[in-house]
Amino acid sequence: MPSSTASGRWFDGRSAAPHDVTLRLGDRLEITGPGVHRDWNLDDLRAREAQAPLLRLGIAGDPGQVEVVDATFAAILAIRCPDLRKRADTAGGTWRLVVGSLAAGVAILLAVALGLPVAAGLLAPLVPDGVEARLGAAVEGQVLDLMGDPPACADPAGRAVLDRLVARLVSGRGLPSDLAVTVRRHNTANALTLPGARVVVLSELIAKARSADEFAGVLAHELGHVALRDPTRALIQASGTSFLLSLVLGDLTGSTVIVALGQAALSAGYSRDAERAADAYSVATMQAAGGDAAALATMLERIAKDDAETDPDFLRTHPFTRERAATIRAQAGAAASGRRILSEAEWAQLRRICPGAPDKPAPKLRPGRGRRV
Amino acid sequence: MPRTGEIAFDPRLRGLTGLAVVGFLLSLVTFGIYRFWYMTDLRRFFWSRTVVDGSPAEYTGTGRELFLGFLVALALLIVIYVGLFGLAITVPALAPYSAILSFVLLFLVGQFAIYRGRRYRAMRTLWRGIRLGQDGSGLVYAARAALWWTLTLATLGLAYPFMRASLERYRIGHTRVGTSRMASDARGRSLVGPWLLFYAVAFGPVLAVLLALLAANDFTLPTDLILPKPGGKAGDLILNPAYRGSRVATLAIALGVTAGCCLPLALLLVPLYRAREAKVFMNAASLNAASLGPVRLVSTLRARQFYWPYLVYALSLLGFVAVVGLIALLAGLAARAAGGNGFAWAAALGGGLLYLGGALAFAVLHVRIVQARLWAAVATTTDIADADGLNRILAATHGPGSGLNEGLADALDVGGALQIGF
Ligand SMILES: [Zn+2]
Repeated sequence: MPSSTASGRWFDGRSAAPHDVTLRLGDRLEITGPGVHRDWNLDDLRAREAQAPLLRLGIAGDPGQVEVVDATFAAILAIRCPDLRKRADTAGGTWRLVVGSLAAGVAILLAVALGLPVAAGLLAPLVPDGVEARLGAAVEGQVLDLMGDPPACADPAGRAVLDRLVARLVSGRGLPSDLAVTVRRHNTANALTLPGARVVVLSELIAKARSADEFAGVLAHELGHVALRDPTRALIQASGTSFLLSLVLGDLTGSTVIVALGQAALSAGYSRDAERAADAYSVATMQAAGGDAAALATMLERIAKDDAETDPDFLRTHPFTRERAATIRAQAGAAASGRRILSEAEWAQLRRICPGAPDKPAPKLRPGRGRRV
Repeated sequence: MPRTGEIAFDPRLRGLTGLAVVGFLLSLVTFGIYRFWYMTDLRRFFWSRTVVDGSPAEYTGTGRELFLGFLVALALLIVIYVGLFGLAITVPALAPYSAILSFVLLFLVGQFAIYRGRRYRAMRTLWRGIRLGQDGSGLVYAARAALWWTLTLATLGLAYPFMRASLERYRIGHTRVGTSRMASDARGRSLVGPWLLFYAVAFGPVLAVLLALLAANDFTLPTDLILPKPGGKAGDLILNPAYRGSRVATLAIALGVTAGCCLPLALLLVPLYRAREAKVFMNAASLNAASLGPVRLVSTLRARQFYWPYLVYALSLLGFVAVVGLIALLAGLAARAAGGNGFAWAAALGGGLLYLGGALAFAVLHVRIVQARLWAAVATTTDIADADGLNRILAATHGPGSGLNEGLADALDVGGALQIGF
């Protein structure tokens, strides 16, 4: 094999001083100069990254390296050493990395879709009452903020009727003692249940109800969410989702976790199973309190029909409303329709709980997804 | 006569575009995880093309180290967030301040991360086989940065150049090349001039118009000049009709226009300040090589070398948008000639191309034009006085150190990108 020579600068790795050397390329690479003698195996030889025509050569385990500026020598060396440009860190690793990170992304999505609901269900009962109460206060502040601070309705006569109604519905049901039901003026027919046993009824819901039993049915449904700890569960699930998704989507400060609490409480609906369970709770509660347990079904259908005019998703959500109504009527039985939970006079007082001017236009909550009823 | 050595940077950047395109696309399909490997490739490229006195620098960091550091940092951040959240829940009195508290805490962690990230880059940098290093304490650096920022805010920004110089002295003073330590005698007062230019441009004309306004109103502030709009939403304001047509009203409008123009104009001074700062810092830096007198850096950087990359970048982006518009226009004309809805075709094609190509073009051009040219500007304008002193640098025995330092900077998104003059 013909040999090729070049002159270069040797650095011993102990000092930055250069030493002039001669490189002789044969079956091996010989580097010789004053006080320098190396005989390197071509298979071990690696070129460290440099801009051609500069070539920087070394082998693993030797702190010394040699710099050569000689295009012909570099070309010959490249032919003799197939592994010259092989890198230790990314050799063949790129595809493994792509596949691995795709798998990690899919795993996180699966954890969000399947694992989180289970984890949230297990964690929710473990949250201490004191913590949940403070969490509820914080979430209520944020939710009201997002809704444009709707004013509270506290007409004394209407409030007294509401308090009596709530007392009848919760009697003997073992709900948290700090249960707080408030009414706020808002032009969305909805009710929100927040962590810490807080139920916020929006005035439009009372306006839409045609009987006390329809309203009481919805209220009992919300109490069902309280009893089953759905708000805390949903909050844990929503925070976990936003955190895990922020991992995938690259918002890596995790700040979404705290910022999104209120948003999550507003937008994330409960699962269908949770709604069915709250419906069943409402039927049982209304029966125990002596009301028309089937009125909830009528109310749900009316709200869904009104939503249909504004919500293009209606077709998707409607079959579920119909199924819920049918289940509620079947559970309530035929005898339900004769009962009345409040007298007409009491109901008239309750309807006046939000006195004063007619509703001013407020930002309307998107129906459907945010539906808490 | 001492020999002057030069720092060179190959301006052809062969291979950089391919590196950036592949890195960007792989980062996209791997949910961003590939960016650690992409950043490593970019650093290897920039380091290896920066030739100091004939020998290129070498970057020995790996994507895996950055990724592991990022995971550790993420775990740390979760602990911090959960801790803050728990504190707000258990001590309700603190809840209103939790936003401020988390900002202060994250600022400190961010400064700590910047310092430790720099330490990682230093320890992964070799020159002629000699490893660089950085000692000093990230906690001390974070505390200094916090105090300086407080002072800067308290002096309405006047302390800013002094803060920059002080932190630079700390960073450089704790940088080592082998057994030799670097030093910086950067002084904030050399930067006061360009820094005050910001104030002159941003506030000078506004102040002049304000004085004219006060003079026109007999040196009393016209407090009833702006009124809430009758029947409007909260925050809607109108000019008091009683002043309509008066000199005061004209000057008030001029004041608004001046303020609207001068503040963006002041932003155009950022490259000027940065260039001056880079030059001052480079000139202040030296290396004390083995007790034989310092090796000094000499910079001849001009501000226009910092403006040029941004100008070329802006023109490239405009050119990209123009080309996409032209393609969309031609497609629209072709579709119309074929009897279709020309406008819809043009809009769909133009929008699609802009969206898909835009992100890629922005990212690649930024690396290729802004980062590479700024890097080249600093490197090629810097010379080494008494370059023979470099030969006396000796390797230290310290090892390459842990790679867990820099992930925090990435997780917090501070200083994670390539830094000029590392
Ligand atoms: Zn519900």
